[in-house]
Amino acid sequence: MTRLFEVTKRDGAARLGKLRWRDEELATPCSLETKEELEFLKEATIHRAEIDVAIVAAQEETNAEQIDADIVTLAGAARFRDDPRGLTKALLRARELANPDSALYVPALATPENVSLLIYAGVDLVDSVMAEVKAREGYFLDADGERRFDAVSRRPCLCGACNGANMTELSFEHGAAFASDHNKKALKAELNKITENVERGTLRELVEGRCRSAPTLTALLRLLDDEYDYFERRSPIVRTGTLLACSQESLNRPEIRRFSERVIERLRRRDGVLLLLPCSARKPYSRSRSHRIILAHLDKLRQHLNEAIITSPIGVVPRSLEIMYPASNYDIPVTGKWTCDEREWVIGRLSQYLSINAFESVIAHVSGPYRQICDEVAASLGIEIVHTVSDENVLSFASLQRLRTVAQELIDGCSPARRDLRFDYMRDLADFQFGSHASAAIFPDVPKVRGLFPAYYASDRGKRIATITGTYGTLALTIEGARRYLSASDGTYSVRIDDFEPKGTVFAIGVLSADPGIRPFDEVIVYNDSVIAVGRALMSGWEMQASKNGGAVAVRHVESR
Amino acid sequence: MKEQLIAHERTARKPESRAIGRRARGNAQFAWTGMDLLNGDIVPSLTVVLTTKGCSWARHDGCTMCGYSIDSNPNTQAADIQKQFNQVIERYGKAFKIVKLFTSGSFLDQDEVPIDVRDAILSELRDMPKVIVESRPEFVTPEICEDIAGINEHIEVAIGLETSSDRIRNNCINKGFSFRDFVRASEAARAHGFTVKAYLLLKPPFLTEREALEEALQSVHDAALHADTISLNLCNVQKGTLVEALWKKGLYRPPWLWSAVEVLKRTQETAKVICDPVGGGSRRGPHNCGKCDREVVAEIKEFSRSQNSASFTASCTDQMLWEFVLEFEEFGYGAPLVP
Repeated sequence: MTRLFEVTKRDGAARLGKLRWRDEELATPCSLETKEELEFLKEATIHRAEIDVAIVAAQEETNAEQIDADIVTLAGAARFRDDPRGLTKALLRARELANPDSALYVPALATPENVSLLIYAGVDLVDSVMAEVKAREGYFLDADGERRFDAVSRRPCLCGACNGANMTELSFEHGAAFASDHNKKALKAELNKITENVERGTLRELVEGRCRSAPTLTALLRLLDDEYDYFERRSPIVRTGTLLACSQESLNRPEIRRFSERVIERLRRRDGVLLLLPCSARKPYSRSRSHRIILAHLDKLRQHLNEAIITSPIGVVPRSLEIMYPASNYDIPVTGKWTCDEREWVIGRLSQYLSINAFESVIAHVSGPYRQICDEVAASLGIEIVHTVSDENVLSFASLQRLRTVAQELIDGCSPARRDLRFDYMRDLADFQFGSHASAAIFPDVPKVRGLFPAYYASDRGKRIATITGTYGTLALTIEGARRYLSASDGTYSVRIDDFEPKGTVFAIGVLSADPGIRPFDEVIVYNDSVIAVGRALMSGWEMQASKNGGAVAVRHVESR
Repeated sequence: MKEQLIAHERTARKPESRAIGRRARGNAQFAWTGMDLLNGDIVPSLTVVLTTKGCSWARHDGCTMCGYSIDSNPNTQAADIQKQFNQVIERYGKAFKIVKLFTSGSFLDQDEVPIDVRDAILSELRDMPKVIVESRPEFVTPEICEDIAGINEHIEVAIGLETSSDRIRNNCINKGFSFRDFVRASEAARAHGFTVKAYLLLKPPFLTEREALEEALQSVHDAALHADTISLNLCNVQKGTLVEALWKKGLYRPPWLWSAVEVLKRTQETAKVICDPVGGGSRRGPHNCGKCDREVVAEIKEFSRSQNSASFTASCTDQMLWEFVLEFEEFGYGAPLVP
């Protein structure tokens, strides 16, 4: 029975938590260092008394049941030292078997080099056993990997153990003792760094850097990335920090795939004329100099156009979703050269986007590699994409003039309806967040949209329905909006709570049922028979159902039903 | 926890498809000569491994670490065994002080070695100062001892006790007999003037290095009363065994040679313990860090002859690691800390 562990913060599968541990409170992730601690845990494993510790063997073949314990130990994890495939399977299996509010303990495996990946995969507790083994094998460890300590001539570390020690002159026994001390400190320092990154929501960026020190670790990250469902189920819908796509693996981030899947699956089908534009360094794109110039030039024509931005690594971003994470805040190294993987990914997304919508005509106001991508897609789909950039410069007067002329011609050719661009943002966000057709439920009639970009708000007959929040770029519902959505939906993005009036935070223990599809930071509707409330999810919906500890939803407004 | 693991491993990985019966019947025997200790003297010995239909227990169930059934052939006839023995004697002669008769099973099992052949072989060797036969204890009965004592008076019965702990013998080795069975067999053998050798296994699967070391020490003490010689077998990874399956999964490591040295040193006062580190220094055999293995293997062999712990002089940087492993391996929860 889980009583002593609580998750306080999540970043994907990684968590920060509090473990009540022998009269003290241990902040996780952390490393058990003393033999006494290890023995305490082992005793608890055998007796399951003072603190409930269960064990899971890393066998794929057993059909074990869900384990509800304070700590779940992945027995024999050290055998996966050089087996990223086995480790991936075992870690994910253990994490899925363990209750979400059980701490996952991986014994005798962590080193400063690999621990960030372990935590990234969902581990809460490690120990310093392997760091000590490595010291006695003659290795000095830090986050970059291992070196023979007798070959470390220039001090790479100034920790208490290293300060003053001249490693090359020590006897093996003294060297091993010093390395043991240093290795443990290095593990602890790395865990501090990891904790900070989880707090900021940037663990992924750390891990992409860390995995470079060894092929097995890079393999581990790639194999973990193959487990899309596992990580997607734990990935927040928005982040406040910037997604830094600095490596090949960045393309595999779950939020990138989720974004492009939702663009295809959830947004309403478009027709008429599509204008493709290149991305910009500044986000949201429409704030950038290039987009402002282009958009100013199009002026009122925009009301008849669909706009989409081509970008690596996200693929295709409809204009209305430019304020939604990760389109709203990501950064990539810009060199003018695209890697094969980037090209392939973007070509795939653009082909899909063009296939699923019913555009009469497509304009591409792009140059360089973007143009090549458009041509390749046009050729493979057998459609025409009209280029409007004449001299490789999207901002030249000639290009802009041509864009305007072509756009006018094509619009005249199919005379699409005029749209309110601000409402576009609101209803596409509604569909993106709550599922296709959500916008029809929330906005049955075209509402009045006011406000300054991007903080628009919609009202219907004087009643506020929804607002775009400046901080996250997501759509926040008012109680009126929530009522509309709840009456039309079948429980999606809704949390049914016990018979109480929620104030502030609704805790997981009070949740009766929740849509398993809810993700951290999702806008959700909270209700029971007497009240209806709106708020922001603090954990995934499936986790609200399975957990007993921790906050589930931060409630914003409550009204009686 | 360990019981769960054991139960799981046993059901999941029972080596049902052991490689049995690939050895030809008629002329396929191993034999080699060596020097062994007999009553304080180093004397020439002849070891004969006869191909039989195989160990009765291996055919029925089998031990977790034993892959010797690979050396058997289910179609072996009595005449085949006799022929093998004759060929060995023809080739090597009888100028030895010790002859060891191994069958990869039980020499005293009448189903494996028919009585006529057994008696003919023992009779042929009746003037040999020492004839060592290996057998499971269920075949070392007063009746069988009575029968063979009339043919050969210099028999030593060697029994694979493995450990004095019934719990470990049952759960980790799956040996299928108890310590009491061994004691009964020893008493029967000694009552007929035979000497008894007990094989002990250092580091059965599912034990940590420390548990293995401690239980080997205890076993030497327990077995010493019932055996004239104790042979410490350092577990190695044999083909087609459960131990091999565990080893391949990273859940088993053969014992450290340092652990063997420790057992030999600490039991010197208790019993005559000999040890031949088969496969010593290899990944599948007992090993240390790789740098000191050759030297330590040689010292163990030397000790087996001299019984003098002054043989042990080697030291190496990996002793720190071994000591750490002794203390911390249990916290790997089933996985060895060092390959």
